[in-house]
Amino acid sequence: MNIGRIKRSINALLVNGTLILIVLLWLIPVVGIFVSSFRQRFDIQTSPWWNVLPHRGWVMTKTIDPRELELDTNSPMTVEGITATFEEMQAGVEEGDTRLVWIGNRRIGNIQIQKKDWIMPGGLTLDNYQQVIQGKNIRITHADGTVQTVRGDDFSVALLNSLTVAVPSTIIPILIAAFAAYGFAWMRFPGRRFWFILTVALVVVPLQIALVPVLRDFAGLSLNGTFLGIWMAHTGFGLPLATYLLFNYISQLPRETLEAAFIDGASHFTIFTQLILPLSTPALASFAIFQFLWVWNDYLVALIILGPDPNVRVVTMKLASIVGDRGQDWHLLTAGAFVSMLIPLIVFFALQRYFVRGMLAGSVKG
Amino acid sequence: MSKFSKILGVLVLATVILAACAPATTPPPATAAATEAATEAATEAATEAPTTDCAEGYDFGEIVGPAGGFLEKALAGEYSGTTVTVDGTQTDPDDRKMKCGWAAFEEATGITVNYVGNKEFEARISIAVDAGQAPDIADFPQPSLVRRFAEQGKIIDVGQFLSDDYLNQTYIPSWLELATMESPDGPIVAGVFNRYSAKSLVWYPKDDFEASGYEVPETWDELLALSDQMVADGSTPWCVGIESQAATGWPATDWMEDVMLRTTSLENYDAWVAGELKFDSPEVKNAAEVIGEIWFKEGYVYGGRDAIVTTFFGDSPAGLFTDPPNCWLHRQANFITGFFPETAKPDVDYAAFYLPPIDEQYGRPLLGAGDIYVMFNDRPEVRALIEYFTLPNSVSGFLAEGGAFAAQKSATPEMYSIPLEVSLAELFGTATSFRFDGSDLMPGEVGAGSFWKGMTDWASGSADLDTVLKEIDASWPE
Repeated sequence: MNIGRIKRSINALLVNGTLILIVLLWLIPVVGIFVSSFRQRFDIQTSPWWNVLPHRGWVMTKTIDPRELELDTNSPMTVEGITATFEEMQAGVEEGDTRLVWIGNRRIGNIQIQKKDWIMPGGLTLDNYQQVIQGKNIRITHADGTVQTVRGDDFSVALLNSLTVAVPSTIIPILIAAFAAYGFAWMRFPGRRFWFILTVALVVVPLQIALVPVLRDFAGLSLNGTFLGIWMAHTGFGLPLATYLLFNYISQLPRETLEAAFIDGASHFTIFTQLILPLSTPALASFAIFQFLWVWNDYLVALIILGPDPNVRVVTMKLASIVGDRGQDWHLLTAGAFVSMLIPLIVFFALQRYFVRGMLAGSVKG
Repeated sequence: MSKFSKILGVLVLATVILAACAPATTPPPATAAATEAATEAATEAATEAPTTDCAEGYDFGEIVGPAGGFLEKALAGEYSGTTVTVDGTQTDPDDRKMKCGWAAFEEATGITVNYVGNKEFEARISIAVDAGQAPDIADFPQPSLVRRFAEQGKIIDVGQFLSDDYLNQTYIPSWLELATMESPDGPIVAGVFNRYSAKSLVWYPKDDFEASGYEVPETWDELLALSDQMVADGSTPWCVGIESQAATGWPATDWMEDVMLRTTSLENYDAWVAGELKFDSPEVKNAAEVIGEIWFKEGYVYGGRDAIVTTFFGDSPAGLFTDPPNCWLHRQANFITGFFPETAKPDVDYAAFYLPPIDEQYGRPLLGAGDIYVMFNDRPEVRALIEYFTLPNSVSGFLAEGGAFAAQKSATPEMYSIPLEVSLAELFGTATSFRFDGSDLMPGEVGAGSFWKGMTDWASGSADLDTVLKEIDASWPE
């Protein structure tokens, strides 16, 4: 009995320990990016992000100008009681807890006496976030006192645009797909099988091949660069999978409940709104998360349909342009990435309790 | 039911509110009204744009277009109220500098220039042109991309309204040759060049460089002697980084082109770019070996040979600005200043010298790359803007803040407001020849593919030079 319990707790420890290890491994890059988002460009270029953690290192206690000592760098030199060649000094000569280092070249370099101590690095700044979020010109004061005026990237417009795109692009396909799924599952009409197979077959059609034809049609209707256009595009691209997933869930609802409603004289619409929708909440919610994240992270469809007009630019496109012409503003990308993550995280945590139940939607087919 | 339908309700409400919040961009149902609204939105954005974005107190003088041209009519207000859409690949900060150069045109003509570019321009433009949605004008960073559209007959011949005399007055022959392309109706002038970046530059930390008593080398031998001197002084001379994600290797192709121009004739260079001179020829191989003498020499490159392929090209010059400098020399185009620390000052913390000639007989060649403006829709106001692009006024945003040079002959060094760029512009004036970035002119399979990859393999040591050069030759399309 007791042994069994110990065994079980060892098992639990092993499982939990492994899980924690995996989670930590997965988190390291995220933490790295998060830390980098508070660092300035030059710091990112020249030192690793973990340098922001307190660590033990060599701290300078004294500088000596080698020219005052009139040293000959071509032969071993004696400084502060330590004798070494130039090359050895460049690499650093340790004696006890002090170190003697030649910093720089023979011509203008200095000799430093260092001792080991804890380094508490600073230099973290909110400038990156400020520059990403704000739309107007902002003044950034650098460590050496120079003031630089930079143009903000104004994420707020992009965030609003992304919401304007993502929310309807999530709701419209779900509503249509729920109606369609109910029809395919519970209504009898000619060609039902054929239309259903056609819908399911569309799941495997990659949306990329539809881009040029859709763009041409939209051009005829002047829908390019409009939100209505991208809502329609996302609805169209999302519908087959939505219908298929919801069909699998809705068709598995207990037949008796629906029959009882029919006998009581309920119409299809009443049954749909009063019975089907509430019963299929997990499936609807999980698909809503899928679709919302897909649309939020979508870059291609937005690029083609909405185009590059700054007034309708969504977050993904803003992120792509934030690094600048040649990637010189990489330090801003880290901050921008975290800002853009906020809303998907909110959506995910708000709906996540439906998620696990909904993931199983349609997975067991009778 | 209740919880979820509440969430649904909130979302629907949010949609309605959002739709109401963005009236300018929410599409009206009617077709004509939609374009009108878009134009309105663009005009609004243009007028709202803060003028403080451009350098102030920098007057560029009067706009004078070709006599009897469309720009003249536009200046008379004939096309006031129209809009020209320009697409391109520029984002921050170049898009801002471009717009600053156009502001004077907009003000003087009443024509609105709507810039809609972003980084995915190259992928987008083909789809847009195929779908009949081409912008009025597009800014192409590589002439080779334009060639395809010219062959399909999608491009308006600017030679229709810009006379040969005017073009010859405005541009040096190299630019005009690049702009002339084949179309179904014979050769056309496919566009106009506007600004360029120069590649044959070596950047160095000026204050430390001078304090150490080093001198700017005038010949290749002096450059190598300087490198040796730096090694002897206990420092590492060069910083080289060619990593650039999917485009890793491109900085190496620039090195190759620069050295090719210095070790062989212009005819050979042109033949090489056209695919007539093989990579596997003694000339190309020799150029690579000259580079190898710097890249692979013990103690020459910061971080050693391994660092060349793994260092991001934009991070690589950071070594010039550490204290003490991790490296002292960095060969890169003038745009690299965008990667320098914000606090670094030109002519104090850094400066650049001309990559010295190797063989006297080939003179002082200059390697560069420029943007060509191409016209897709033929309207008078579009022609007026194209004519404006042939004036240095249109580059004023760059002249004031740096980052690119004006391609027009009429641009003089005094027009640049950054002293370092004045001296660079003067330096370019002493160049005996100009050649466009060769890899940008080669077919995409080579110039943006096997050439990059081959140089990377060679630099990393995973393949020897002969194999690499043969592989690049084999990848050349039939």
